[in-house]
Amino acid sequence: MGQASLVSDSSRHSIVEVSEFRKSYRKQLAVDGVNIAVRRGELYGLLGPDGAGKSSLMKAIAGVMTFDSGNIDVFGTRLNSEAASETIKDLIGFMPQGLGLNLYPDLSVEENINFFARLRLVDEQELLERKQRLLAMTRLEKFRQRPMKQLSGGMKQKLGLICTLIHQPKLLILDEPTTGVDPVSRRDFWTILATLLHEQQITALVTTAYMDEASRFHHVSLMYAGQILAEGKPDQICAMIPGTTLMVQTDEQAKAIQLLRQHFSQVQPDGKWIRLFVDDMDADTAIDRVRTLLSALKLEAVQKVDTELEDAFVGLLKRQALATVKDDAKVESADLNFAELIARNSDFVAIETCELTKDFGEFRAVDSVSLRVQEGKIFGLLGANGAGKTTVIKILTGIMPPTKGSGSIAGADIARLGPSIKQRIGYMSQQFSLYMDLTVIENIMLYAGIYGLRAKEARERCHWIGEMAGLSGDIRERTSNLPVGMRQRLALGCALVHRPRVLFLDEPTSGIDPVGRQHFWELLFELSRSEGVTILLTTHYMSEAEHCDHLGLMHAGKLVADASPEALKREVENEAGQLLEIAVSDADSAIQRLTEIGFKNSEMYGQHIHLMSKTPQQDAYRIREELNGLQVSSVRILDLSMDDVFVYKIRALERLADTGLKRMDR
Amino acid sequence: MNLQRILVVAQKEAREILRDRIYFALAFLLPVVLMLVFGYGMTQEVQNVPIAIIDHDRSALSRDYAHRFIDSRYFEFKGYVNSVKSAELLLLDGKVRAVIVLPEYFQERLVSGLPVDIQTLLDGTFTFRLRTIDGYIQAINGAANAETQARYLVRRAGLSSSRAQTLLQPLQVQTRYLYNQELREIWSVAPALIMFILTLTSPLLMALSVVREKETGTIYNIYSSTITRGEYLAGKLLPNVVVSFINGMVLILLTVFYFGAPLKGDVVFFLVAMFIYVIWATSLGLLISVIVKTQIAAILITVILAMVLVMQFSGMMIPVSSMSDTNNMIAHSMAPMHFNNIVTQTFLKGGGLISSWRDLVTLIGFMFGFLALGYLLFHKQSKS
Repeated sequence: MGQASLVSDSSRHSIVEVSEFRKSYRKQLAVDGVNIAVRRGELYGLLGPDGAGKSSLMKAIAGVMTFDSGNIDVFGTRLNSEAASETIKDLIGFMPQGLGLNLYPDLSVEENINFFARLRLVDEQELLERKQRLLAMTRLEKFRQRPMKQLSGGMKQKLGLICTLIHQPKLLILDEPTTGVDPVSRRDFWTILATLLHEQQITALVTTAYMDEASRFHHVSLMYAGQILAEGKPDQICAMIPGTTLMVQTDEQAKAIQLLRQHFSQVQPDGKWIRLFVDDMDADTAIDRVRTLLSALKLEAVQKVDTELEDAFVGLLKRQALATVKDDAKVESADLNFAELIARNSDFVAIETCELTKDFGEFRAVDSVSLRVQEGKIFGLLGANGAGKTTVIKILTGIMPPTKGSGSIAGADIARLGPSIKQRIGYMSQQFSLYMDLTVIENIMLYAGIYGLRAKEARERCHWIGEMAGLSGDIRERTSNLPVGMRQRLALGCALVHRPRVLFLDEPTSGIDPVGRQHFWELLFELSRSEGVTILLTTHYMSEAEHCDHLGLMHAGKLVADASPEALKREVENEAGQLLEIAVSDADSAIQRLTEIGFKNSEMYGQHIHLMSKTPQQDAYRIREELNGLQVSSVRILDLSMDDVFVYKIRALERLADTGLKRMDR
Repeated sequence: MNLQRILVVAQKEAREILRDRIYFALAFLLPVVLMLVFGYGMTQEVQNVPIAIIDHDRSALSRDYAHRFIDSRYFEFKGYVNSVKSAELLLLDGKVRAVIVLPEYFQERLVSGLPVDIQTLLDGTFTFRLRTIDGYIQAINGAANAETQARYLVRRAGLSSSRAQTLLQPLQVQTRYLYNQELREIWSVAPALIMFILTLTSPLLMALSVVREKETGTIYNIYSSTITRGEYLAGKLLPNVVVSFINGMVLILLTVFYFGAPLKGDVVFFLVAMFIYVIWATSLGLLISVIVKTQIAAILITVILAMVLVMQFSGMMIPVSSMSDTNNMIAHSMAPMHFNNIVTQTFLKGGGLISSWRDLVTLIGFMFGFLALGYLLFHKQSKS
């Protein structure tokens, strides 16, 4: 009905307008001259790594933080004083960063909701109705009486959303609502948010560190180092960098990478593939160019893929030379010796566990996990917070004994990890293991000392680490002065000081910007391919999972999948089919129609609709026919992402558990 | 002011205090434990000091003299030793704190009217109560002297022993301890401890409960909602004041019924004064919470502040009248001294409104002053 007029209305009214916003903490400039405008009804995304300045901006817009200069107008009110900020608080709902941190752990789910509602003077009758509806929608109904501290990460996040929504704000400000939440809960979260925004005409401003969530927004701004790199619709941003993203597969991966690096700046190994970005060329020219360059090698495949926001982000940073120049140059100069890479096809098992189990009181954190990692491979352990990943690593490194089960590292039993075995293990914990007040070299020498290296050897390793991590020029710098990405490489270096053969990394890349993450992965590849180091790491970036040789998926302490990324994808494709993306102007009616004709799993994804199909070609055709009147602009078949695979796997498990329960009820 | 919002915050706060075990212990257990620990620690009489004796004379008189120490309840006799060397070893090991050395010819010299030098060795590292021990020894020695002289007079002048006593000590001091007739230290210490413990725990509770919200991030719920500063602070103060007041009453009961100190004055007056003091102390916690960001910092600052206030400026340890002029002025400009006055007045001197109205009025002034300061400094916007 009023859809069209609403759209034109919204284009005129900005609900949030920020101009030349600046904020510094002591001497550190956090946000430097940012302008954004959020229009009514929009789902606006602010993307960027940790420390980009997102949170500062969000807090200032919510009127809960002072700032240095610039203007912020929210609902036409200029937030230039504490008193002025008070006037808009009725209209906004603000959820600060940190999973469940704005909730009260000792209050029950219902008490939390009541607290937020009564604080906002919501009418008791209305509270009852809204609570009912939101609890049902988030499937938290049966946990009403449970204290908040006993909820899972995903449930906390949903409760946080209910509490922020209970007074029906007109503007939602959510700071990293999906960080640290498992992919399934993340998907649920987006669906709920999309539904509510649509129904109640709410405007939402959301930040995220996950680049792959960008396509869910109507409008995004990419933030880096306190500035906005680019803004626009997600696909517009991807198109800002003219060029083509290619995937190349060859047996001689290392050689190919070396050759390609001489011509292109964005070349990365990606599992068996090489992902590269070719500037300013269309697909055909780019493919030809790559084929010519690699004519000496045997190519399995060269194909064009969609440029993703992460590619665009890195491209933008490189173009604007914003990525701290020294951060960049060093890694190039360290020049990874890909030429000397030896294709190791060792059958030697470096890590093996059998029925590993760990109980903490009543709680089973790790439940019969059996896995094998071959020497020189990168094994990725995926799963939500609390799935048991860190515990597995702690058991394998001998920090914690298992309750049941056994494991071995390089053939030695973990129950009897002697000093000689510990010499062969490197471990980098979730939190930074560096001493911030020491310099780079002091940190390295400290670790060298801990592992009992002789002075000469220590100096050699120091030199090697400096080269490897691209830190040679900053060796006397205080660690606290380094950018996060460099710190992370230094931490990796310290874990490698004693030349371990097996390396355990616990969430090594969380919170680091895409450029930093790329560098880090290049180092890992180098280590595994040329030095034959076996690496077991955990991550919750699904896009990183694709880089691993082998994946283990953990859910509630169990290892629920264990295969190569490609095998996992094929498996899900066989079971559930492929992903169809439908671009249509009237998405609501389209989803309704699709559900009617049997596509029960169709859901909103940004401005598009996603659904799974076993017969994608026929279904695409049929959907075009059925949605004829609704202006379908495209129906595309998409490759499954690791995220899709993860969500599918976990949902299948949950369904299994549900039917199991039902059977038990009977 | 919207009453609902105040009550919602207060109710949430109360639930958290009751459900969080650590917080609960801090709120209700800590004051009682402090009362018991300090109540005993500060009042213990010095008794049973381990002592050794070297008797070089081994005569009837020297043994008599030694028994004055051996039979005293203030000393615990560990045995005779033969040489100063072995006595020093005992002192070194801490097995005895004092050694009495009786010289050779003790009896001979005494009988022939010559002076006798008795040496005492005290463990100097044990400075705590060293003077008390020295005092005991002097007193026992004094008594021995007086008896010897009396005996001499009785023998020589044929006086009765009581007449001899009067002649020897014509001036006698008769002390009457007012307000604490039995001179029980605990009578004055326990009531003062009420002041001390409330000065420490009330701000601690309040500061922690606000800073904890800052640390976790729940404070942003308050910042971003429509609740006013005044409503939030009222809601936050209310349960904390109630908890502190309950604690105060428990401490009064402990003082009266457990430690046996009398509450001679006006009980109602005292409760009113305590209520005002608790509000002041809680607003002090609010002020601390405004300036710090972490719970650790809040604890440190509160403890140090409370210690300085109580030890230096409350009059509990050092009487205000014997302070230097500067400290005297500082003490008068701090609330704890006024409450300490009220405590001593009502507990021991049987005072009430009539005797202590000045202190009460000052406390009321402090209370409103600190509440206003807290309100002015608390903002619904963070700087970082």
